[in-house]
Amino acid sequence: MSYQARSGRLGQLVSLNLLHAPLMVISILLGLVGVMVLYSVAGGDFAPWAWRHAVRLAVGFLLMYAIANLDLRTLFNLAYPIFGGIFLLLVAVEVFGDTNMGAQRWLDLGFVTIQPSEFMRFALIMALARYYHTLHRDDVSQPFGLLVPLAMIGVPSLLVLGQPDLGTALMLAASGLGVVFLAGVSMRYFIGGIIAAVAAVPVGWNYLRDYQKERVLVFLDPERDPLGAGYHIIQSKIGIGSGGLFGKGLAQGTQSQLKFLPERHTDFVFAIYAEELGFVGSFLLIFMFALLIFLMFSIANQMRHRFSQLMIAGFGFALSIYVIVNLAMVMGLAPVVGVPLPFISYGGTSLLTFMAGIGVILAMERQPLADLPK
Amino acid sequence: MALYDTEEQGFSRRLVLLGGLQAGLFTVLAGRLQFLQIARSDVYATLAEANRVNISQISAIRGRITDRNGKLLADNDRNFQIRMVPERVADIDATLRDLAHILKLSPAEVFNIRRKIARGPSFKPVVILEDLSWDDFSRFNLDLPYLSGVEPVVGQKRVYPDAHSVAHLVGFVGAKTREDLQRVGRIVGDNVGRSGVERDYENDLRGTPGVRHVEVNAVGRTVRELQSDPGEKGRDLSLSIDLDLQKYANERLKGHSGSVVVMDIHSGELVSMVSAPSFDLNMLSRGIDVTEWEKLVDHERKPLVNKSMRGLYAPGSTFKMLVALAALEDKLIEPDERIDCTGVFGFANEEFHCWRSEGHGEMNMVDALERSCDTYFYHLALRVGINRIEAMAKRFGFGEVTGIDLDGEKGGTVPGRDWKRANYDSGWRSGETIITAIGQGYLLTTPLQLAVMTASLANGGKLVTPRITRITEAEAPATELALKPEHLAVVQRGMYRAVNRPDGTAYGSSLLINGARMSGKTGTVQVRRISKDERLNGVIPNSKLDWHLRDHSLFVGYVPHNKPRYAVSVVIEHGGGGAQVAAPIARDIMVQLLRKTQAEPERELAAEQADEARL
Repeated sequence: MSYQARSGRLGQLVSLNLLHAPLMVISILLGLVGVMVLYSVAGGDFAPWAWRHAVRLAVGFLLMYAIANLDLRTLFNLAYPIFGGIFLLLVAVEVFGDTNMGAQRWLDLGFVTIQPSEFMRFALIMALARYYHTLHRDDVSQPFGLLVPLAMIGVPSLLVLGQPDLGTALMLAASGLGVVFLAGVSMRYFIGGIIAAVAAVPVGWNYLRDYQKERVLVFLDPERDPLGAGYHIIQSKIGIGSGGLFGKGLAQGTQSQLKFLPERHTDFVFAIYAEELGFVGSFLLIFMFALLIFLMFSIANQMRHRFSQLMIAGFGFALSIYVIVNLAMVMGLAPVVGVPLPFISYGGTSLLTFMAGIGVILAMERQPLADLPK
Repeated sequence: MALYDTEEQGFSRRLVLLGGLQAGLFTVLAGRLQFLQIARSDVYATLAEANRVNISQISAIRGRITDRNGKLLADNDRNFQIRMVPERVADIDATLRDLAHILKLSPAEVFNIRRKIARGPSFKPVVILEDLSWDDFSRFNLDLPYLSGVEPVVGQKRVYPDAHSVAHLVGFVGAKTREDLQRVGRIVGDNVGRSGVERDYENDLRGTPGVRHVEVNAVGRTVRELQSDPGEKGRDLSLSIDLDLQKYANERLKGHSGSVVVMDIHSGELVSMVSAPSFDLNMLSRGIDVTEWEKLVDHERKPLVNKSMRGLYAPGSTFKMLVALAALEDKLIEPDERIDCTGVFGFANEEFHCWRSEGHGEMNMVDALERSCDTYFYHLALRVGINRIEAMAKRFGFGEVTGIDLDGEKGGTVPGRDWKRANYDSGWRSGETIITAIGQGYLLTTPLQLAVMTASLANGGKLVTPRITRITEAEAPATELALKPEHLAVVQRGMYRAVNRPDGTAYGSSLLINGARMSGKTGTVQVRRISKDERLNGVIPNSKLDWHLRDHSLFVGYVPHNKPRYAVSVVIEHGGGGAQVAAPIARDIMVQLLRKTQAEPERELAAEQADEARL
């Protein structure tokens, strides 16, 4: 059955039970965990975050379901236009964007503010998958076959970097490069690229903003500034560590409830979760993320179209680096970069793009044999 | 290449590669989670608790100090303070500006606060203002919601209702030092006893500090109180001092530099112990600036020194009783034996002068004590010898601390052959015995020792231990000196006559209160050498000498003469003759004391006269 396209009759919605249940269930569960933690962060109150997160989760679910209904060909045909559209939005941010906390990231459309850089990740992976789908295997490592994807990754990444948003830019570039890697570009380039990147570190250092330099230095030595930049890392580790095996209980975390933890509802949400639900809960959460990514990779491995393969695996990879970087940062293993924890951190754009991504995977998984133009 | 490439080995390989990398990273994350939440959980739990719970210690209410009648010598009062934890203040400048505005602080005060803040570690609360008026304090509390990191504290401060007369005994409290920490261990609160009873009884007075656990949030605001242990109040301490008498004595010593010690001859309780000049305890307790402090320290008359137990003086003629006793004990003289005083005593090419240059004539022992004849004792000295004098002085406790329950007492010096050998590396000369016999030379005693000596003479030969506190009801053990009553009676008779007979050196200071009289002995101690020239041309009177060259004026005595109860010693530095200065002071103080204690009706004249005859 897995190789049979599952679809309803023409003009009708696909029944939910025809979709890949584990993928759907895990992502919704993660979203609900988000609702729970945000409820707890507010001291046991749905206001101000939890109820909005729940509404967004519901909207995200509908979005996911809607996308899952799309024909693979439609997705294939939309890949470039979406990329182009988001790219234009990114440029628009550069021109009209609201400045928020020293960075232009938000675009106010009047009724909703969006963060195009978050959408870009999703659009980029799809566009790259679309590109490699038509590119001949033999051309993947050829100069032209390399330059186009690098431009597709590089230009938007640089735009985001210029906002400036180092974290998102790095995530975006890494997500794109993940697709390039999966597409089978010669290993030499990657090894060479890594060497070049390491060599560029001292040069790049000079281009970092002061607060970014400070974050890196503080990561290397949090005690450097225990009440300033190092405060986040120290307090976060205290929060997680003091959770112990079973945690302090929902809304009982002293580190979060007494506001010792920063960014409790966004980037550092895991610290609260870990403080209140302990090792058992935290391990379970990490396991759920790992399982979700594993499922994506195994679905990708069963796909026949390069478009589907690269889109699903690329999305899985992007999800994994978000999770890994966020957790590493919160646990003091990586410098503080503004990376949210997918599905859980408060933030509409992030949640919606991840739900949309799941929807695309569901659609692809449903139609492994659909006709795609070369 | 086929469009549906189902056997795309390359993609699968890359997937596995990437998946493996992710699996590895997830393993690292899980390992980190295990490290933080299991391996190091207790460490972080402690840190979280330290974040959350602000443990502050509450110093217990310090025990009060009273005199023997319950009159307060040291009390506590509320001290309205403002405390700041510098690291919890977002903007110290702004906070200080607000404070200065609310409390109308001068720039100098603000500057001082800054210095205080800069001095300590930023996590420690600093008292930035104290002794605020209630008005200022309530104004501050009103504006408290707009200030962060500062808190109102109602602390304790020590007040001394009578700051001068008991200054040396009660002592004062002040900021703790490293040395205090070593002495009394951990100190909660800012202040610790720095001198006197406040210092020596620190552990009793301090009580057990309480602990307050409060939950605070990240900006340091108290969320709620978790638990609170108010601690245990310090122990109240009652001193043996009679405040009224103490005040009187202090008043009486005004203008002098010296000491008065009044002691119960049986219990050793000190009814009064005054050292003059004194200082203001409240001033020192509040904190005093360096120049004021140096003025006190460098003052010629050493106001900070408790002269009663730390001042060392030659006892002068007050020592003669012991020489007499030493002679009587070994039957080296009969009390009735007469010795002729011509005013000069020659020995080994040296002349020793009696204070009365024209001489006293024939003297027996009682006469010699009454009139303080030096010549009589010069003779006696040669018969008795330094060894017996030294032994007798030591039996009476000289040369060693009395064991009073206050720290810092001095023991003085009793010279002898061994002592001379050890300290001067030379042999004892008989001339020195002669000088020693009239209480001069190397002999050094404290006024407290003189009071103890007098008590022993009055109580029938028991050496008591003086005490200032009444912590235990049991009396300190007294040492029996094994003196014959008839020998003591001779000395007592001499002391009675010295005060009560017209020829006595202290006759001018006799008293009669409800039938009680005073017995005593004067002492005048030369602090300079009188040259031969001066002796020929007439000794320069004290009044014409610089203060520091004048004689020390001493008096020891006891009351009542017939049923002794209290001993007194008065030492006035450079006061002049014992009879002129010290004795009247002793009399006035004894009058006060007797008026207070002798409630008995006036005795009949007959009984009075019978006493006269006996003595």
